[in-house]
Amino acid sequence: MATTKKYWKSFDELAGTPTAQKLAQNEFAEEIPVEDFLGDDNALSNSNTSRRDFLKYLGFSTAAATLAACESPVVESIPYVVKPDAITPGVPNYYASTYFDGNDYASILVKTREGRPIKVEPNDMAAFNGGTNARVQASVLSLYDSARLRQPMKGGEAMSWGDVMSSLRSELKKANDSGKEVVLLTSSIISPSTKEIIAELGNQFTNFRHVSYDPMSYSNKLDVWQNILGERALPSYRVENADLIVGVGADFLANYTGQDVAKAYTDRRTPGKDMNRHIQIETQLSLTGSNADKRIKVKASEHGAVLLHLYNTIAGMKGGTSLASANLPEEKKTMIEGVAKELANAGSKALVLAGNNNFAQEALAAGINRMLGNFGTTVDTNTPVYLRQGDDKAVASLIAGMKSGNVGGLITWGVNPAYSLNGFAEGIEKVGVTAALTDRIDETASKFGYQLPVNHFLESWGDYMPTSNVYSLAQPTIRPLFDTMQGEEVLMNLAGIDGSYHAYLKGFFAAKVQMAAPMLSWNTVLHDGSAEVPNMYAASEAMGTIDMNAAASAANNDVKSAGEMEIFFYQKTGMGVGNQANNPWLHELPDPISRVSWDNYATISQADAERLEIATKANSMGAYDGYTVTLKVGDRTLNGVPVFVQPGQESGTIGLAVGYGRTMVGKAGDNVGVNAFALMSGDHYATSAEISEISSDRDHGFACIQLAHTMMGRKIVNETTNDVYMTAAPQEWNELPLFETFKGKMGPDKVNLWEDHDHETGHMWNMSMDLNKCIGCGACVVACHLENNVPVVGKEEVRKHRDMHWLRIDRYYSSEESFAADEEKVEEMSGLWGENGSLGGFGELEKASENPAVAFQPVMCQHCNHAPCETVCPVGATVHSKEGLNHMAYNRCIGTRYCANNCPYKVRRFNWFNYKGNEDFADFNPSQDEYGKMVLNPDVTVRARGVMEKCSLCIQRIQYNKLEAKKAGKPIEDGQFTTACAQACGTGAITFGDVNDTNSAVYAAKNDTRAYHLLEEIGTQPSVFYQTKVRNTKEA
Amino acid sequence: MFRGHLCVKFANRSTESYHLRSLMKNLYRFHIRLIPLMLSIFAMGFAANAQSIEGDAAAGEKLFKTYCASCHKLDSKAIGPALGGVTDRRETDWLYSWIKNNATFRASGNSDAIAIFEEYNGSVMPQFEYLSDEEIGNILAYTANPPAKPIVVSDGPVVAGGEADNSGMQMWAMIILGAIFLVLVFILATVRNTLRVVKGEEPITVVEDASNYAKFLRKNTGFMTVLTIVVAVAFLNVTYWYLMDVGVEGGKGIEASYMPPHPEPGQEAQYGEQPIAFSHKLHAGENQIDCNYCHSSARHSKTSGIPSANVCMNCHMYVNGSEITDEAGNPKYGGERSPEIQKIYDAVGWDADKLAYIEGYEEKPIRWVRIHNLPDLAYFNHAQHVTAGQVECQTCHGPVEEMEVMYQYSSLTMGWCINCHRETEVKVNTNGYYEPQHDKLVEKYHGENITVEKIGGLECGKCHY
Repeated sequence: MATTKKYWKSFDELAGTPTAQKLAQNEFAEEIPVEDFLGDDNALSNSNTSRRDFLKYLGFSTAAATLAACESPVVESIPYVVKPDAITPGVPNYYASTYFDGNDYASILVKTREGRPIKVEPNDMAAFNGGTNARVQASVLSLYDSARLRQPMKGGEAMSWGDVMSSLRSELKKANDSGKEVVLLTSSIISPSTKEIIAELGNQFTNFRHVSYDPMSYSNKLDVWQNILGERALPSYRVENADLIVGVGADFLANYTGQDVAKAYTDRRTPGKDMNRHIQIETQLSLTGSNADKRIKVKASEHGAVLLHLYNTIAGMKGGTSLASANLPEEKKTMIEGVAKELANAGSKALVLAGNNNFAQEALAAGINRMLGNFGTTVDTNTPVYLRQGDDKAVASLIAGMKSGNVGGLITWGVNPAYSLNGFAEGIEKVGVTAALTDRIDETASKFGYQLPVNHFLESWGDYMPTSNVYSLAQPTIRPLFDTMQGEEVLMNLAGIDGSYHAYLKGFFAAKVQMAAPMLSWNTVLHDGSAEVPNMYAASEAMGTIDMNAAASAANNDVKSAGEMEIFFYQKTGMGVGNQANNPWLHELPDPISRVSWDNYATISQADAERLEIATKANSMGAYDGYTVTLKVGDRTLNGVPVFVQPGQESGTIGLAVGYGRTMVGKAGDNVGVNAFALMSGDHYATSAEISEISSDRDHGFACIQLAHTMMGRKIVNETTNDVYMTAAPQEWNELPLFETFKGKMGPDKVNLWEDHDHETGHMWNMSMDLNKCIGCGACVVACHLENNVPVVGKEEVRKHRDMHWLRIDRYYSSEESFAADEEKVEEMSGLWGENGSLGGFGELEKASENPAVAFQPVMCQHCNHAPCETVCPVGATVHSKEGLNHMAYNRCIGTRYCANNCPYKVRRFNWFNYKGNEDFADFNPSQDEYGKMVLNPDVTVRARGVMEKCSLCIQRIQYNKLEAKKAGKPIEDGQFTTACAQACGTGAITFGDVNDTNSAVYAAKNDTRAYHLLEEIGTQPSVFYQTKVRNTKEA
Repeated sequence: MFRGHLCVKFANRSTESYHLRSLMKNLYRFHIRLIPLMLSIFAMGFAANAQSIEGDAAAGEKLFKTYCASCHKLDSKAIGPALGGVTDRRETDWLYSWIKNNATFRASGNSDAIAIFEEYNGSVMPQFEYLSDEEIGNILAYTANPPAKPIVVSDGPVVAGGEADNSGMQMWAMIILGAIFLVLVFILATVRNTLRVVKGEEPITVVEDASNYAKFLRKNTGFMTVLTIVVAVAFLNVTYWYLMDVGVEGGKGIEASYMPPHPEPGQEAQYGEQPIAFSHKLHAGENQIDCNYCHSSARHSKTSGIPSANVCMNCHMYVNGSEITDEAGNPKYGGERSPEIQKIYDAVGWDADKLAYIEGYEEKPIRWVRIHNLPDLAYFNHAQHVTAGQVECQTCHGPVEEMEVMYQYSSLTMGWCINCHRETEVKVNTNGYYEPQHDKLVEKYHGENITVEKIGGLECGKCHY
């Protein structure tokens, strides 16, 4: 198509002046003096120096100059001037502390080296929540986040603390004098001393309100339990007492009330007659659901009706009063009745846990638990848990107040409501004074007048009361890196309390805590991290005030028509609610179920994907591509949401993880994924959802690290049922492959061509992975990442399967309804074609079932004692040790990658790039960040480009602890130390130790009937072995 | 018995007890090796106006060093007053009473005693009731009349002068030899040509000669190849040693490398400037301070640790100079008020005149130049060798006690490590750690030495991870 547009460079050109025309003729406005240096042909041809000569001289002089300039660098060594008594350079110190970010609570040990925290470990002296999940493990990197705000700001200008505080004080006073409300919006506060400071702060204003806010709200649950407990708190769950656990949409192993029940749960997963049984009824395949013995898919909106039907059926069996009949299809009702029967049989040893943030569902679950007599056994109503404090009603009234202009001053602390709370951002403008106590200029702080940087928790003091009988302390392990202030101290300043928070806290401890618990000393609690105190809770009788009939009708009303789509919002084990969205370790950690990293996405069922023609597909590079869609709930829309097909997803539902889609969190986390909070309003699911604007092709790339999702009937995860385990001979369910030899049938440990290593005279390090206890949470993966300085490679590289995780947790789906059925199918195959033909049969086995059984299997270097990698290395860079380890000498490796190709377990990782220097990785690789590199473990090499690396079984810890034993002059005790993964594992799935020590736990594990080696038949004789997974399929 | 000496009130600092403990340890271990230093302070001077005090000054010197020198000097204030000529200032009886039990003496109300006690801020001097009158007399005789004895640190074998010109001499010798060689060649060529002329043949010029050789070489390619290889190998050899000389592999400090590893006899290693001219020879050699006293973390940690300045101050609170002189009689270590020791004071903020730390002083770290640099890919742990392996420091670091300037004694290459691991026996009998393995090891290697190699000391992963 012709155009009449004319493009011009200057007015002269447009006007067509002669100068412009002349200039247009010449490419260069000025003459270039080419002649001066090339024009004299004569001089050039007569010159003795030809071009070749010139290059020769250049090359020689460069080489000579380089050689002459060679000299060793001066390395300085700068000791302390006055060395602190506690520090010996090279020796780590450990400090007990507490992690609480409003979402996760953990009692921790902080490992410091030369005064800088480098690792967070679980505290085995914890009085409550001694385990660490992936987020707590990763939290140490958030300290060294260079996106943190480094000095106080007012209106975009840096200011001193003195100025900014006096300005804020006077502005707040003005707001107060004008009669408007002053509001403090915080995350859940469980610190008794902080509550006292907030009360003091309230006294400064005539009209003050403190509002607690949880991004994933539990407000309606709290309302239910307020009626029962008389206190706004949730009960403690005693999962260890439960023979049967029924979770209805409750992801209680990963993200629930904040109470860590995974250890109690897995302690009862030891096979035998005491093994618990777990039934999960849920929408989306959660971490908890994937560990269940039986899983039933229902929509989130049906959870209420499911609970109602459970209630009614159990009431019928127990002779109680039934409520209104549940609004559920018959086939679902039948399934629920089976569960109800099991619950009734389990009596008071059962536990029903409801998910979501729904009053009716929680009330019905509480009703069932009470009816079964679980109060006092599995539901502990005497020690309330305070970890969730958010109040939806108060938050809603705050937003209304903001919008109507009634809020004169707003201080936020530890929350980011402009990101996670719909309607908040619109109200900010009408608030007079806004101050954010924040760690960075995030979505909220950027819209606020004052930005006050607060200390990271590793720089802070703190006290916590997670339950009514536990008191814990947090202590700083490093001086503030930036010009930040402890959040409490800012509030103290506003409240007119003088002195440091540390002094205040000690005063509070002496005055209040020791008053109630005189046996506690400050130093003891500080040393141990936490202590049990006399129970502060006084029981009350109030159950009657819950209207169960109203709950029943509300539950029935929730059920929508079958065709309607709905969205279920969930938290990933890595990202949670997004508090650490700039933490690259958590982005790189693959989701335990979908195995996708660096993303969130709409999970849908295979059936829905086929109906809408939006199925995910692997491309020729072995990476998944998917469509993007627009999701719509009411008048809220979210564009560009990638769609990922997820087995186990209930049809008609979409799962969407929160915590992603941050825009102002930092280089690593900005614009990763989409913000699910934009569609959310209080509850954890939204009905009447629509999928629209499906993209024309698969325009979204997923960084999914697993493509083979089924085991094809092989014994990779060996699995059996509890009944078989208890009755049958081990050879029947844990078969050792045998080979025909001239000496008769022999196992793979006997049939070999190799000479054995001497493993008798020293240690022999072995590791046992109990597949019954591994819940797949990924804490070990993050722990390994930071212990071993594993590089973060980013989404594009993960997509190319170049992820560097030394430890991965493989997740397998069954193709049939169970893994046993898969095996049966393989056994029944005959011939290539036909109904039982292997060609078609194996094709079918590649596809995961619509509601698959799931198995997790952590795989790291198996430390084969007949290692295939060692024999193919041309330079002897990977060699075996007497202690059963497969060593990897990085400085010897020349990068042929033969070893990785010959590794049957695919656990070797190759450094394709110089991750610590290549600018492509600068945005997210901690070792490239000025502050981030401080987190590196100084005892482990940071590997260079072109070398292979892999799990070393934490050889730095082995060597360190052997030396500690030698220094003390005594043998290594079993349990004296363990690997990073085993230490991080909250459920005790990983046992590490010396099998030459016959008293060790790992020796017992090795001789357990459940023990087997991965791919045993290939005769690699690994030092790592697995314990057969046992499911409790017996209906109680 | 030394414990009593140190009941002294230090300047009010948080590390006070640390100082006290460390100092006591030091004194226990080394029987006050510091004292020779103190001695130097009074080397000259007092004899002239000395009052005659009965007693054996030589015996008194020993006693003084043992009991007094940690707090007193002869010519200047330390923790206590200067004692040179104290017999002029005080009655002998007064001195006896004070020395034996100053507490009761003060309690008796002696105003002078109380005054001196208060002048020194109530620093408590221990009681010496166990010293006989004769011994005290000897000490006093010594303070009044110290035997003059200039102290010179022996410098090892003295080498004749002109050593420094050695290389120049060699160069000249080479030039002269070369000239002689050329003359010889010229003579030979002339003689040959003369012979040719005598025989009636044409004389050959040097140029023609050379072209003949060139022709020969062109014809004999085999010889040419061998020659080329020899030259190339020689060249590569020279290049290799040149590069080794750069010392990157040893990671040496300033400009020098471990090649050549040891200074020539009689010469000191020259590695450029350390921020403080610290002499291991003086500290570890003359004063026989144990390595672990300053490098205390070597026993506990992977690093031996350069001592922090507060460790230096344990002694240098009292020792602020040295009168040790060299051959020519010049102060060898900076003299009475050593500017080098002053650098420590500048780092920590110590006022050498007031004998007190300066309030609110901003500490200035000392930036030492690191001599021993292992590459990051090798993990080395001092505690493993010092505590578990019971290896002497000198085994790897050489005669540190003879080094004025520290240098890298061993190559620190992997071959060097491996050799030692092959030869060194493990303390399987004495360390309880090896108890569970001991019998198995003995059974397997009966009769043989159980070396580090045999327990896996050559495996890659023991040092590289």
